[in-house]
Amino acid sequence: MTRRRFYRFLKYLFLFIAALLSLFPLVWMAVSATNASVDVVTGRLLPGKHLIENYRKLSQQANVKLAMVNSFRNSIVATFASLVVCSIAGYGFEIYHDKGKDFLMRLLLLSMMIPFAAIMIPLFMMVGKFGLLNTTTAFVLPTISTAFLIFLFRQSARYFPSEIIEAARLEGMSELGIFFGMYVPIMRSTYATAGIITFMNAWNNYLWPLIIMQSKDSIVMPILISNLIAGYVTDYGVVMLGVTLSVLPTIIIFLLLQNSFAEGILSSMK
Amino acid sequence: MRKNLIITLALVLVIALSGLASAVEITVWCWDPLFNIYAMEEAAKIYKEINPDVTINIVETPWDDVQTKLTTAVMAGQLNTLPDILLMQDNALIKNVTNFPGVFYDLTDSGIDFSQFADFKVRLTTVDGRNYGVPFDNGTAITALRTDILEQAGYTLEDFTDITWSEFIEMGKDILAKTGYPLLSSVSESPDHVMVTLQSARSWMFDENGNVFIANNEVLKETVEIYVELVKSGVLVQVPDWEQYIGTINRGTVAGTINGCWIIGTIVAQPDQAGKWGITNVPRLDKAPNATNYSNQGGSSWMVLNHSPNKDVAVDFLKHTFAGSVELYETILPSSGALATYLPAGDSDVYNEPHPFFGGQPIYADITEFAAKVPAVTYGVYNYEARDAVAVAISQVLAGWDINSALREAEETVKFLMGP
Repeated sequence: MTRRRFYRFLKYLFLFIAALLSLFPLVWMAVSATNASVDVVTGRLLPGKHLIENYRKLSQQANVKLAMVNSFRNSIVATFASLVVCSIAGYGFEIYHDKGKDFLMRLLLLSMMIPFAAIMIPLFMMVGKFGLLNTTTAFVLPTISTAFLIFLFRQSARYFPSEIIEAARLEGMSELGIFFGMYVPIMRSTYATAGIITFMNAWNNYLWPLIIMQSKDSIVMPILISNLIAGYVTDYGVVMLGVTLSVLPTIIIFLLLQNSFAEGILSSMK
Repeated sequence: MRKNLIITLALVLVIALSGLASAVEITVWCWDPLFNIYAMEEAAKIYKEINPDVTINIVETPWDDVQTKLTTAVMAGQLNTLPDILLMQDNALIKNVTNFPGVFYDLTDSGIDFSQFADFKVRLTTVDGRNYGVPFDNGTAITALRTDILEQAGYTLEDFTDITWSEFIEMGKDILAKTGYPLLSSVSESPDHVMVTLQSARSWMFDENGNVFIANNEVLKETVEIYVELVKSGVLVQVPDWEQYIGTINRGTVAGTINGCWIIGTIVAQPDQAGKWGITNVPRLDKAPNATNYSNQGGSSWMVLNHSPNKDVAVDFLKHTFAGSVELYETILPSSGALATYLPAGDSDVYNEPHPFFGGQPIYADITEFAAKVPAVTYGVYNYEARDAVAVAISQVLAGWDINSALREAEETVKFLMGP
């Protein structure tokens, strides 16, 4: 009995330390957002009284509202577009049969190995030639179809009972009808997972918007934060406030979809 | 009736078009709202009175991002996505001009008088005898010291002026023993400190012909030896990153720092230390033949892009502001501390104002005086590669390597990176 209690103690101790390690940076970020820059670099760990002043300085230095609106618009469009495209592709890869299918899938997975920086220049040339600089379209296009999402949806479609599809076809339902009427509602958790991942990637995307967003009016949050740390003198309180504001949307969305997220990850790993 | 209408419409159109044609927008990429961007905004105000049709559109872009965007645009052949003017780190200027021929506008015959700028700064913006940049901010090296801590140990700022490194280390050990404060701090594995000392003796990691000059560079060897002695004696503490370096200054755990004069912005951020600082020139090497007490660290310059359809306007703008307006420098100095390398500005009264944070010392006049004496060196195309290699050599020597073999390896590394 005591031995079991001791093991439980060890288990909780381990979990406590692990939780502390992963939460500390977040807590430090939020606490630093309320402190003056000098307090941040001198290692103050208690909340301070500079939150309002930091916010005033931040809004003087940068157009947070504009960057937030742009980031939201870009990320939401990117998320919806890629969910639609990738889920249809993933479903198609699993449900329909063709002899080239597996080869194509392998080719697609191979594309995950190519780092974005390697294809950035030709992509930029295309976007520039099409006159799409500074637009949401340019932001969304390269990420609209990703091998990872297609793979995720394909894995989920594997557990979608094929008998139902057969039955629906016999009943005279169209292929699109089956997809939207039956597959989509059942796969809600996969959509939630894919949605969170895509939104987060789009929200945090730095390199691509850096290249294509040339005008002041198309600034997004990661670039705004990068601007804040570029000076000879960095105001760390203001930077931390900017970072805190920038991670809030992803945290909120994650918390809202948390249950479905865990479910979705499990179902695609079965 | 209808004919009249058409003529009227056509006239309106012509007037509208001519209005568009004379309004010019100059796009500028630069970073730091409190410093460069502020200076650019003030310059725009001044130029508005000279040429009201020109608007300056500043797009805030950090230095690393300027380099990324520049490289991508040039490699993708999308030069039209570049601005009309951009701010360039002096450390990278020669490399960019050399790697991207024809991208930057040659300012040599633009009518800008480069003799009005500090010599060392003009040298950093010159490639093959042609001027490519309008010098801007001043990176003149200073020794900033906590006068209150010096006093505790029985020293004054005067004792640290015009001295050699061996004198500096001697006093540093004494201060450490008496007060417990190290004199300096620096980011470990950063070559900045060694670079400042190297330039103070008019030496660099490349010779006049652009060949690597590391292994047999006696000045560099003396510089590295001094750095190692500083670390081993405890007079200089190494910290892991820039934030912690700032922390040692603001927390008051060190008695001073040696860096570009822009570090003043960081020092004055700690109001508790007001009146406790003073600045002087940097120590000089004991043995090096051209040793001086003056050097430079960092700094940037304005460049005009060659493809720009409005490059004449861009050049005219720079000529009337950063390269011709004492008024501009007088405006930007008090609130941003943006020091000029434009020498006529140094005579202005604003520069001779005493600075309360530094115990009433007229620091800007002092720094402008230092700037005129900074030895000119050419950083070269492979400056960053050489800096990194020497940084590795420094950590090797600190770890117990023989200095000659560490520098030889650094030289081999740079040669390898330069290719045949």
